[in-house]
Amino acid sequence: MLEKRFIVVSGKGGVGKSAVAAAIAKSAARAGRNTLALSMVGNGMGLGAHLGLTALDFKPQPTEPNLHALSIERSKALVEYIQIQVGLPSYATFTPAIRAFDVLASTAPAIREIVTMGKVLWEVKTGHWDLVVADGPPTGQIGSFLGAATTMANIVSSGRVADQSKWMREIQMDTALTELVLVSVPEELPTSETIETLEWLDTHPVVGSRSIFANRVLPLLETDAVGSGVAADAASLHRSLTTEQAIWLERLPTHLDLPFLFGAESASAVADRLADAMAALVS
Amino acid sequence: MTAAILVTGGGGVGKTTVSAAIGVAAARRGLETLVLTVDPARRLANALGIAELGADPSKVREEPLLWAAMLDASSSWEAIARRHADPAVAERLVTNDLFEAATGQFPASQSYAAAEEATRFVKQGRWDLVVVDTPPSAGGIEFFTAPANMTDLIGGRLLRWLTGGKLPGRRFFFDRAARPAIRIADAVLGAGLFERVAQFLMDLRTTYDGIAASSAEIDRTLSTAQTLVVTTADPTPMREAIRFFRDLPPNAQHPTSVIFNRSLPVSWVDATAQDDDGELTENLLRWSTESARQQRLRRQFSERYSTEVTTMDWQPTAPTDLDSLESLLTTAGGYSLENLWS
Repeated sequence: MLEKRFIVVSGKGGVGKSAVAAAIAKSAARAGRNTLALSMVGNGMGLGAHLGLTALDFKPQPTEPNLHALSIERSKALVEYIQIQVGLPSYATFTPAIRAFDVLASTAPAIREIVTMGKVLWEVKTGHWDLVVADGPPTGQIGSFLGAATTMANIVSSGRVADQSKWMREIQMDTALTELVLVSVPEELPTSETIETLEWLDTHPVVGSRSIFANRVLPLLETDAVGSGVAADAASLHRSLTTEQAIWLERLPTHLDLPFLFGAESASAVADRLADAMAALVS
Repeated sequence: MTAAILVTGGGGVGKTTVSAAIGVAAARRGLETLVLTVDPARRLANALGIAELGADPSKVREEPLLWAAMLDASSSWEAIARRHADPAVAERLVTNDLFEAATGQFPASQSYAAAEEATRFVKQGRWDLVVVDTPPSAGGIEFFTAPANMTDLIGGRLLRWLTGGKLPGRRFFFDRAARPAIRIADAVLGAGLFERVAQFLMDLRTTYDGIAASSAEIDRTLSTAQTLVVTTADPTPMREAIRFFRDLPPNAQHPTSVIFNRSLPVSWVDATAQDDDGELTENLLRWSTESARQQRLRRQFSERYSTEVTTMDWQPTAPTDLDSLESLLTTAGGYSLENLWS
């Protein structure tokens, strides 16, 4: 996975998507790859916290050796998109026009997504980074983001955006370059949402390769002992939880397990421990 | 007079289960109760005995005073368009291929749809209590800011500027001031799309008066509702919960309590008890670490934001019937949720 150039991480809300994205970025950086971690939706607070920052900016900022992070702010991405990618002069991007366009961008299908994906894939295309890891939208919206280039190509046949859609699709569809990582946890709703997303992807080819992480997986108890006192209570809860999680892990297609982290004190500790777990999976 | 309880919080924390549990407990204390939910897990729907929930409230079998309905954001959005626009304009709106994209993408639209539906049920006066399970995409304060954002968007100065403030008609011309924006749009999008979008927005603007009046009513209703924030001790839901206290919008009540779902027994915190079995001892110690972390987090939260805290036990399996839903509430620790209706 870490040999890819672009990894986009998605999952149902609350499964630890940002933590996994941060951990992948840290793993790559520690393996010596010049890595950019970016947050595609929202304010990037989640990804930022996991990387030990209080806030993310539109400009890349260093977080540790080989690792930079940024958050895509749509209005800024829009200006950049129009200036750099579409090639309009800066005087054309004066504020009222941009604001008007911003309203339209939130209405017309695929525009918000194509501006965001355009920024992400631009960072991949520049060749400045060995790896770009995107903390992506939740699974409910992943289709509209990854499908934006295709949707756009169908809506407009001329104009600069039509040209953009082509190279964006090429990067996305390249199995050697791009991977979608779906994060799930062994519970009912996240599992069924992951399976639905995979089914959607089967009929909508929008991304090169894909893989799945099952997050917060508890280790199985090997002993059959019942124990006594609170140790028995803890063992009983643990066994009930692992019996339940087995049901959902069974239904989840081929995946890698990431451990439940007992007593992880901070968001950055969570990402560090997940990065360690990933390193252990690889070796 | 119908009371409302809004159950908010980040994704995956158990909002829907908590809402259902409150509904069952309230109904069993004699209150005619409606639970408005969003997309419940199959097993929860089964637990409520309602396999197919519709947008119209239906009675829960075996629980005479309990009703449930499901908020479907896209269909309720269509209902809202039809309520607030002329029939012909409404038809043009909902059949426009931009409609689905637009309603799915206005950040506040799902929340607004949910808030308007909830308000409608509260106003009906048919129930003593309406429990609202807020949409997962906007468990946080967006639910409360949605009505204002919606009127901003639809009646927005920007849109008026774009169209020169003219009343919407089938055809219209862009105002001179907006022309640079149109040139950019045509270069970026290809000619024509911009105009289609603008026409769509003009149609949408005809709903302004209705939406503005409705928003004011939603604000009044939300301002009297009790709010519960559900969280687990994980970083993402905790951030959502904190936002609720830090960025509390003026139209929302200070949350009545924060519910820490998936709480471990406090008696495990200082567990030093050794078991004969090494693995069981080790297992106890790691759960003890986790329980201690949870307790520290709850204390910090309660002190920093001076709020009541309720703990709900970590249930290995989802509730399968009405009794197990109710017991979530009766076995909860800390601030008693029975206070909600007494």
